Amino acid sequence: MAPGPDPNSVGDGAKRDEATTKVPSKEPKKKDDKKEEDLSEEDLQLKQNLELYVERAQDPNPELQKAALESMRLTGSEGDIGSWGHEYVRNLAGEIAEEYTVRQGEEASIEDLMDLVQQIVAFHMKHNAETEAVDLLMDVEDLDLLLEHVDRTNFWRTCNYLTSAAKYLPGPDDMLVLDIAYMIYIKFEEYPNALQIALFLDNMQYVKQVFTSCTDLLRKKQFCYMISRHGITFELDPEMVENDVDREMLQDIVNNTKLSEGYLTLARDIEVMEAKTPEDIYKAHLLDGRASSGPSADSARQNLAATFVNAFVNAGFGQDKLMTVPSDSTSGSAGNWLFKNKEHGKTSAAASLGMILLWDVDAGLTHLDKYFHSNDNPIIAGALLGVGIVNCGIKNDCDPALALLGEYIDKEDSSVRIGAIMGLGIAYAGSQNDQIRSSLSPVLNDAKASLDVIAFAALSLGMIYVGSCNEEVAQSIIFALMDRSEAELGEALTRFLPLGLGLLYLGKQESVEATAEVSKTFNEKIRKYCDMTLLSCAYAGTGNVLKVQDLLAQCGEHLEKGDIHQGPAVLGLAMVAMSEELGLDMAIRSLERVLQYGEQNVRRAVPLALGLLCISNPKVTVMDTLSRLSHDTDSEVAMSAIVSLGLIGAGTNNARIAGMLRNLSSYYYKDASLLFCVRIAQGLVHMGKGLLTLSPFHSERLLLSPTALAGIVTLLHACLDMKSIILGKYHYVLYFLVLAMQPRMMLTVDENLKPISVPVRVGQAVDVVGQAGRPKTITGFQTHSTPVLLAAGERAELATDKYIPLSPILEGFIILKENPDYREE
Amino acid sequence: MLTVSVKWQKKVFEGIEIDVSLPPYVFKAQLYDLTGVPPERQKIMVKGGLLKDDADWSSIGVKDGQKLMMMGTADEIVKAPEKAIVFAEDLPEEEQATNLGYSAGLVNLGNTCYMNSTVQCLKSVPELKSALSNYSLAGRSNDVDQTSHMLTVATRELFGDLDRSVNAVSPTQFWMVLRKKFPQFSQLQNGMHMQQDAEECWTQLLYTLSQSLKAPTSSEDSDAVKALFGVNLRSRVHCQESGEESSETESVYSLKCHISHEVNHLHEGLKHGLKGELEKTSPALGRTAVYLKESLIDSLPRYLTVQFVRFFWKRETNQKAKILRKVDYPLELDIYDLCSEELRKKLEAPRQKLRDEEGKKLGLQTKSSSKDGDVKMTDAEAPSNESGESSTAAQQEGASSSEKGTHMTGIYDLVSVLTHKGRSADSGHYVAWVKQESGKWIQYDDSYPSVQREEDITKLSGGGDWHMAYIIMYKARFVSM
Repeated sequence: MAPGPDPNSVGDGAKRDEATTKVPSKEPKKKDDKKEEDLSEEDLQLKQNLELYVERAQDPNPELQKAALESMRLTGSEGDIGSWGHEYVRNLAGEIAEEYTVRQGEEASIEDLMDLVQQIVAFHMKHNAETEAVDLLMDVEDLDLLLEHVDRTNFWRTCNYLTSAAKYLPGPDDMLVLDIAYMIYIKFEEYPNALQIALFLDNMQYVKQVFTSCTDLLRKKQFCYMISRHGITFELDPEMVENDVDREMLQDIVNNTKLSEGYLTLARDIEVMEAKTPEDIYKAHLLDGRASSGPSADSARQNLAATFVNAFVNAGFGQDKLMTVPSDSTSGSAGNWLFKNKEHGKTSAAASLGMILLWDVDAGLTHLDKYFHSNDNPIIAGALLGVGIVNCGIKNDCDPALALLGEYIDKEDSSVRIGAIMGLGIAYAGSQNDQIRSSLSPVLNDAKASLDVIAFAALSLGMIYVGSCNEEVAQSIIFALMDRSEAELGEALTRFLPLGLGLLYLGKQESVEATAEVSKTFNEKIRKYCDMTLLSCAYAGTGNVLKVQDLLAQCGEHLEKGDIHQGPAVLGLAMVAMSEELGLDMAIRSLERVLQYGEQNVRRAVPLALGLLCISNPKVTVMDTLSRLSHDTDSEVAMSAIVSLGLIGAGTNNARIAGMLRNLSSYYYKDASLLFCVRIAQGLVHMGKGLLTLSPFHSERLLLSPTALAGIVTLLHACLDMKSIILGKYHYVLYFLVLAMQPRMMLTVDENLKPISVPVRVGQAVDVVGQAGRPKTITGFQTHSTPVLLAAGERAELATDKYIPLSPILEGFIILKENPDYREE
Repeated sequence: MLTVSVKWQKKVFEGIEIDVSLPPYVFKAQLYDLTGVPPERQKIMVKGGLLKDDADWSSIGVKDGQKLMMMGTADEIVKAPEKAIVFAEDLPEEEQATNLGYSAGLVNLGNTCYMNSTVQCLKSVPELKSALSNYSLAGRSNDVDQTSHMLTVATRELFGDLDRSVNAVSPTQFWMVLRKKFPQFSQLQNGMHMQQDAEECWTQLLYTLSQSLKAPTSSEDSDAVKALFGVNLRSRVHCQESGEESSETESVYSLKCHISHEVNHLHEGLKHGLKGELEKTSPALGRTAVYLKESLIDSLPRYLTVQFVRFFWKRETNQKAKILRKVDYPLELDIYDLCSEELRKKLEAPRQKLRDEEGKKLGLQTKSSSKDGDVKMTDAEAPSNESGESSTAAQQEGASSSEKGTHMTGIYDLVSVLTHKGRSADSGHYVAWVKQESGKWIQYDDSYPSVQREEDITKLSGGGDWHMAYIIMYKARFVSM
């Protein structure tokens, strides 16, 4: 390299020499060749310095060597760093990171380092090494630099890396990283991705910004579909959408009013509209002879199970063979299924109508209306609950649920009160509706209210204000907890109070600390339970390893007296670890250990934790573990294992689980309680005839719907004391699952939001983070026409160029735009 | 005046005018005209609640052009059925038991599985149960001794307990009486009661019952047990040396299935068991000679008991050894060719009828009509023969054809199996497998009844160390003519 007008080029050249000599031969003499060059005084000084460095670089003392090399690089930093090759730049980046930490420790200046960083990042970003650029910037804590360097060609990979790296970063760095990703997406007008991150950050300001930045109405519609899937309450304002008519239409999408229609389109396309009876699910004829001829008299327990199975299986289809058949058929009122349920069973039976007509508010209210006029309190309670279920996830300007249920909150009868309160909790989960708060909060302090009413009120408030950190609600639940007598604290339902409190902080991490501090003053009977519940809710879905360890330590303790806080600790383990695949697998392995060494009350919770980790995702290993536990000598372990089998197979129609459950049904046909659990699990596996999922995760497993998680966690907490709650008279807590029920579909619609059928490839999703080029995103795919079902871990891509999807995440409702460049072949 | 639209079910009624000076009840009456829903059933959602009949429009804040939602139907209000539904959970314990579809198990009192399985097998005979329930102290004939009477009563009580209970019954009383009557069952070994041969228990118990259940008139024919289980054999005893031939009849409670190397199937074993050699003094030869005895069945029981002769006395080991050979048995047994000539004749017509019925079920009736013409010809003769004989036959067979018009067919269905697991009769474990009226098979392993599959029942045929059939019982299949 000949010396140019640039004075630094000499230094560069010398370094070059040093590098070449150093690496292959360790021969320092080569630089002498250039001695005859004319150098200015300054250059000479520099050169001598460099020579000194070179000498030191070969010094046996590694510290000296290192200092020398670093100074050398810094001295000659202005040239094209790429000229030395990638490996060199990579090394350099590593050293800068180290140097940066040292200097941070010493509080020394880092300006010279940052100059280098600038160069390196620019170099990396130009050479398909976005991941390394991001790594370096994360090390030197200056991600903002990235914004200057991303361009059309590399922003996608950059953001992809950022979002997936965020899962493994400790707070608050993860938020920072996602902020950057959001800004990059906005910069390149990739609004759907930006929206996704905004939702992940739960930052409504960002969500709004997405709407204001985008001018295309059709794309905004797509945003609305995404928001509606996330299950949050969101008001559009004129700033976001100017036109009133448009806004109303978009708000309708956010309000999920078309969900029922879309779901039924899917059902018709897959041809599963025909209603199924519980017997179709039990398939007793496959058990030849065993328990086939049922008992002559109606068993209330088994009929109740059939009610739930019927509700889950026909959920959302609007028709079934037990509840919606006209009662004036030949069999008369005796044929009315409702009355084949006993006392509180009638509540669940009436409410099951809500499940069958899920999301179809108009038809649902029509069907439920007649039960409002009943003189039987459990039936009224069921009708109230049913209204709540029908409205789950659907918002309506008229607020029918609030209008109908509101006046029943303060009725005399506890069961009616619970029906109304629970219905409100389900219908308005996540809405943070002040009007409901003002009517529910007084219930918590109502001296006349029984414990169960108070418990459900706390729970409903927790659901409505899920993840809101609302101080006032927290206060009223805390007071209610403090008011409980010693005896009441021992009741099974009391657990809903701490749970309601925990839900307020769902996923909100540190925000829980003040409340957790207060909980330390509680009666010792509930203190630890509360502690565990708050901790696990606050860190749910964060994958925070430290919290996982905390919780594991709790599970490892061997307690002497009947403390119950280990149950929520085990569940908490799953809640925290469920967010990403690696942590999830680790949690499954840890739970296997816990199972072997833990005490009985820990063992009982383990199947439930497994059920949460793999919800609607039947992993074979977990399935085997649960199958083994379903024959456990401890009947409570067996019960939770059976329910969990239902959870992991929920909505999948998984044949293997169905077979296992069928065998369990004949194995346990004499044990009414266990058989009930088996039936529930069977209902779950065939939920929505296989069109639904319970997974709270969506959008390629990035987003966690808070209301969905709240619903599942509530059920699991109830399952910790199966005998007193689900097998007792509060079986309707099973309906909390409705919060997590979503069609696992991809439905394509045209620009007028009418369904259109296009070919898509559906296959196992491949992790493409950090891969160069345009890697395949799915493997082992099959081509179908939309609408299609997506199983856990599957991804779809369009198999035609005729249309362009308005969101890169092909899940739920996808608007397709015609491709202007498409040419028929 | 306001104009609003009202959404009801899936319909929207546009442009309904509200006169704000009149109470909302008037508005509801307007809607009644449109929807047919009576005002008191109408629920109209306004902001934050329902529209009250006497509310003030101005305070509700309904705006012009607003969309209201109405809920309500004119449907009939649901009423509870007049006859309350009875749930299984509400029933008293004994009714719950019948709901299960099978009765309770028996507690093992210490090596009493032989007795438990015997009781369970015999209990499956409803006729025996009803005969027992008719038994009373007053009716007993004098020749029944005290212990037999006690055993009979104990059996009746035990059967009753089993039917009533949901949980396993402890047969303490029965066992005490059984040991009193048959002291051999009280044998002790290491201070424990020994395991006994179930066949012995079965035979002794049946014998006792047959004695005590004889009607006071004490005529042979009214012996209930014999009518149920008794098999009349007509044997031809033939001496090859002298050519002497005699015939004799006897009545047994069970057929023996002899197991030799040639026997692979129950049928072969039965045939084998009906042939035998015996030595007796021949009047013609004036010395003992070998006689060949060939027996044929002369009358059929309602319940045919077959004992597999699996145990024999092994002199070397001084114990009852067991033959493990696999002997298959069918779920449906046809013993036609073991019957005597006369009996066969009697069976022909009912058998044909049965075949026809079965053919009909399978949809073959038309095909057989012409082809089996010659068979029918012989049938035509048979009835005349039959009618003359049937009256006498009915008396001979006792209860077998007491119901007018039902006839034996020589075809039997398996109803219970008593199995043994282990290598000798005095050890191992006895289990009863009983078919219920519902068609379900229940395995009674002492106190644990469990449902079994029918195809597993025929797998108890031996040939390994699994439970193998020791005593099996078939029920006659009748056909009504």
